[in-house]
Amino acid sequence: MPTVTATKKKTVRINGCVASAQAAKYADVDVIAAYPIRPYTATMMALAQMVANGELDAEYIVADSEHSQLSIAHGASSSGARVFTGSSGVGVQFAYELYSPISGSRMPVQMMIADRTLDPPGDFGSEHTDALSTRDMGWLMGWACDAQEAFDNHLIAYRIGEDRRVLLPQMVCQDGFFVSHITSDVELPDSSQVREFLPPYKHPYPLDPRHPVSHGPQIMPEQGPPLQLERARAMEGSMAVIEEVHKEFGEIFGRHYDPWLEEYKTDDAEVVFFLQGGHGVTARFAIQHMREKGLKVGMVRLRTIRPYPTDRVCEVLSKFKVVGVIETNMGLGSPSSGGVLYADACAALYEAPERPLVISFMAGMGGEAIVLKEFYWMTEKMIQAQKRGKIEKRTHWVGFEE
Amino acid sequence: MSTKGTKIPDWLTVPFAGITPAPSQDKGQNLFPTGNWRAIRPVYRDKLPPCNNACGTNEKIQGYLDLVKRGKYLDAYALIKEDMPFPSVTGRVCYHPCEQACNRGKYDEAISIRAVERFLGDLGQALKHDVVKPGKPNGKKVAVIGSGPAGHSAAYQLARMGYKVTILEKSPKPGGLNRGGIPVWVLPPHVLDREIERLVELGITLKTNTEVGKDVSWDDLKKNYDACVLAVGLTEPNSVRAEGENKEGVLYGLPFLRDIGMGTSKVKLGPRVAVIGGGNTAIDCAREALRQGAVEVTMITVEANTQEMPASPEDLHDMFEEGVDLWHGRAMTAVLGNGKVESLQLHPARFSGAINASPINIDRNAPAEKFAVDNVIIAVGQHASLNWLPPEFKNERGTIKIDRFGRLGDTNFFAAGDIAQFGSGQPLMVVNAVGDGKRVAFNLDKALRGEPLQPRTIAIDVIMDLNRMNMTYFPHFPRVHQGMLNPITRKKTQDEVIQPFTEEQAVEEAARCFSCGTCNACDNCYLVCPEPCITRPERSNGLYKIIVDYCKGCRVCIEECPTGCLEGVPELDFDTGVVRMDTAFAISPGLHGRQAQELVNLASRPAKNI
Ligand SMILES: Cc1cc2nc3c(=O)[nH]c(=O)nc-3n(C[C@H](O)[C@H](O)[C@H](O)COP(=O)(O)OP(=O)(O)OC[C@H]3O[C@@H](n4cnc5c(N)ncnc54)[C@H](O)[C@@H]3O)c2cc1C
Ligand code: SF4
Ligand code: SF4
Ligand code: SF4
Repeated sequence: MPTVTATKKKTVRINGCVASAQAAKYADVDVIAAYPIRPYTATMMALAQMVANGELDAEYIVADSEHSQLSIAHGASSSGARVFTGSSGVGVQFAYELYSPISGSRMPVQMMIADRTLDPPGDFGSEHTDALSTRDMGWLMGWACDAQEAFDNHLIAYRIGEDRRVLLPQMVCQDGFFVSHITSDVELPDSSQVREFLPPYKHPYPLDPRHPVSHGPQIMPEQGPPLQLERARAMEGSMAVIEEVHKEFGEIFGRHYDPWLEEYKTDDAEVVFFLQGGHGVTARFAIQHMREKGLKVGMVRLRTIRPYPTDRVCEVLSKFKVVGVIETNMGLGSPSSGGVLYADACAALYEAPERPLVISFMAGMGGEAIVLKEFYWMTEKMIQAQKRGKIEKRTHWVGFEE
Repeated sequence: MSTKGTKIPDWLTVPFAGITPAPSQDKGQNLFPTGNWRAIRPVYRDKLPPCNNACGTNEKIQGYLDLVKRGKYLDAYALIKEDMPFPSVTGRVCYHPCEQACNRGKYDEAISIRAVERFLGDLGQALKHDVVKPGKPNGKKVAVIGSGPAGHSAAYQLARMGYKVTILEKSPKPGGLNRGGIPVWVLPPHVLDREIERLVELGITLKTNTEVGKDVSWDDLKKNYDACVLAVGLTEPNSVRAEGENKEGVLYGLPFLRDIGMGTSKVKLGPRVAVIGGGNTAIDCAREALRQGAVEVTMITVEANTQEMPASPEDLHDMFEEGVDLWHGRAMTAVLGNGKVESLQLHPARFSGAINASPINIDRNAPAEKFAVDNVIIAVGQHASLNWLPPEFKNERGTIKIDRFGRLGDTNFFAAGDIAQFGSGQPLMVVNAVGDGKRVAFNLDKALRGEPLQPRTIAIDVIMDLNRMNMTYFPHFPRVHQGMLNPITRKKTQDEVIQPFTEEQAVEEAARCFSCGTCNACDNCYLVCPEPCITRPERSNGLYKIIVDYCKGCRVCIEECPTGCLEGVPELDFDTGVVRMDTAFAISPGLHGRQAQELVNLASRPAKNI
């Protein structure tokens, strides 16, 4: 029995954190494992209020650290509960031990991430390194660029993660502050739409004292590889489900997302930005302005980074002359000596018959906004490379170079 | 699709939570037998609780407390009856060495074991039929001389083994000091009578007014019985050898109490009574004197203080409550008066060496004290009356000469109780007499069957020490106290002073027991084992088993066993159940096992010509 009271479709002006909390409410989660850290705290607060007000009937457990928080999430999920948790920045790191066990035991826990820079600098700005550092732990992962998309992504992720063909945990990410704390209009659906899209969760083999079973038993080393292979199969196999679910979401809610990439003004574009998250909103404005000046610039925004849509990225990015990857993350000592997105993009492009030039831009670091001027500067760098037929260098530190 | 075309062989399929039915608890464990990690193996080994060890007849105290805790009173009563014929008696009179030894006493307060024992004894008294039955008759006849605790216990155990037992008792009523010594307000006669009835129900013949040496001779015993137990006690009071001890109004403790207990007393006490002696008999005499009409009772002891006195602290406390006065460091050197006692002459005195075990030094040069009294009761110990005993069996202590099995030479005569334990270092008390009677009965049986006998002192097993237990599991909890009659009024009556436990009190007190060294099926080990590899078909001592294929020797169960009955034993001490490391990790034929087979196959293949 759904415990959420029936609601009619309505548009509200809320920030990303509250949109996430609303999504958890619409998903009728059973257990909320919480531990405060800004900017995620706002989601935790909103949910606490909903539970206190009786709007949402869920176990709300405040842990004593992120490690416990994710342990609680793991346990609750094993018992068959739909679990919602979340964190930011160093909090994401503190729970690190649990990411592999959760995906290893195939528990579709959902974790909301409102990005925050790791220390240093110890500020509250958004940098994607927190969640990205866990990207290979077997969690489905992707970024929203605004509050509405964040709301939608939560529902979509539950539906994918809980699909029996998938059964994987999900990190549903949004930029701290740029998305998490800026209000915008969000359409909250009619509860019947959610009921249609997201059936109540039923774990196939939960822990249950009436039917004792073992989860995560100690196994022999030689049994490790098949288990890893199973997880790899699940991750890869989820791609078909992801496409299916996004299609259905569009049909029910009227918002149609390409599950992998948003292409903005790419039809005739020669140079494109390749990025994820909230900076995509600024990028759209910058592109509009530059288009007015006749520059053939566009944007490809990555919506799902795990599983990585290698073939789509290859197919789309290879249409252009130059691709400028905006990192918003730290990959110290990485192939580009910049962020980590570059390597994935290049790897995807490797098989392409015609490869674009690829440049990595270190922008938005430490949670700084990427201002329009910087988009113009980056566009200029891409156009120069296009003209030269050669990149000047792999990585540019935006704001620190001529 | 990079995972396309991958295949997982059946033998490597791993069931895991999300995608396949999760394995059952056992199957989950089957995946990885961890037994070969173990260096220490947990072993269930019950140890002897100190209470059981201290009890003179080694009652299984921990066992019956556990049963009482669970409400299984009848089982508890049956268990106690293995070693103790009359828990209703010892539940009242015993000096409870068990409680002195109780580990809980070192933690907060000892378990009130005697009170629980009395609860069970009274429950047994109320039964229409006792739980104990006579053994299958073996055609052998045994005479037991004396119906005190030792004789009672020996007769009881022999009857249970199938002997035809006859008790010969010189007094008109049976019970020994239980009747003619221990006062009625400690042990009401109807309680004892019921226990004697139980004895007769076992088929034992009880002959009172039958004295060995007078009515029956040593040769009669030899002729008419296959064996004989001498449990004749110490029936004669000691004198202090003071001048004028023969004056009227001078009484001896033992006959004074005996006559009251037997209902034949004609004594009339004056208002002022002195009691000479510092032991339990003297205390009983002093308190009995109050009940016989005395107004001022003074106890006079050689011992310099109460600690030196061989008396139970509880009895002393109760005596003071009743208003008895106590003088120390004095000996009575003369009884003064004209034919009848009028006063006592006292001199300062000390034991020359060990308290109660050395001659008394009396300072006769010091000025004598004169103490006016109407009566004096001398209670300074007892000795035996053995003029019927063949001289070769007498010893220098004036008791019976026995070997360490309680046997008189190579005869089928055995001795038990005070007569055997006097001077041995064992305190003389009912439970020790009961234990002695029990052990002698078993040895007598062995002797008649031609089996080797067991020494009278039992070998001490590992006795559980408090520091080997896990005290975190035992919150402090006060002892449940028995009710007592008001001292002002009780001392004028023969009413039983100490009140029984209610059922609730008995259960509450039994639940305080730590179960020292003995598994009480608390289930901790079962619950804490992380493997988990402990099984038990049901919660019961003796049914817990370690599955050695999986126990990795982490010791958690050992640490968390509250009672300390789980021990860690080095794996090298075992040659069964050992899980060897046949392959690097797995004992089942997994990958490593398969590789091993392939290597064997390879070796047997003829070399190729290259
Ligand atoms: C006054 C007093 C109070 C005591 N109070 C306590 C107490 O509260 N708690 C405690 O634990 N202990 C107490 N004791 C000690 C305890 O009573 C004795 O240790 C115990 O009774 C010894 O038992 P027994 O069977 O060896 O001897 P006894 O109880 O003395 O029994 C010996 C029996 O043998 C009989 N007998 C003797 N000679 C013959 C013969 N020739 N033919 C036939 N029968 C014979 C006697 O009549 C007597 O019935 C007390 C002792 C005394 C004296
Ligand atoms: S007989 Fe005495 S020592 Fe034995 S259990 Fe009872 S009270 Fe304790
Ligand atoms: S706590 Fe229980 S088992 Fe331990 S000594 Fe006391 S009565 Fe005996
Ligand atoms: S932990 Fe409890 S059940 Fe296990 S051995 Fe110790 S006393 Fe017995």
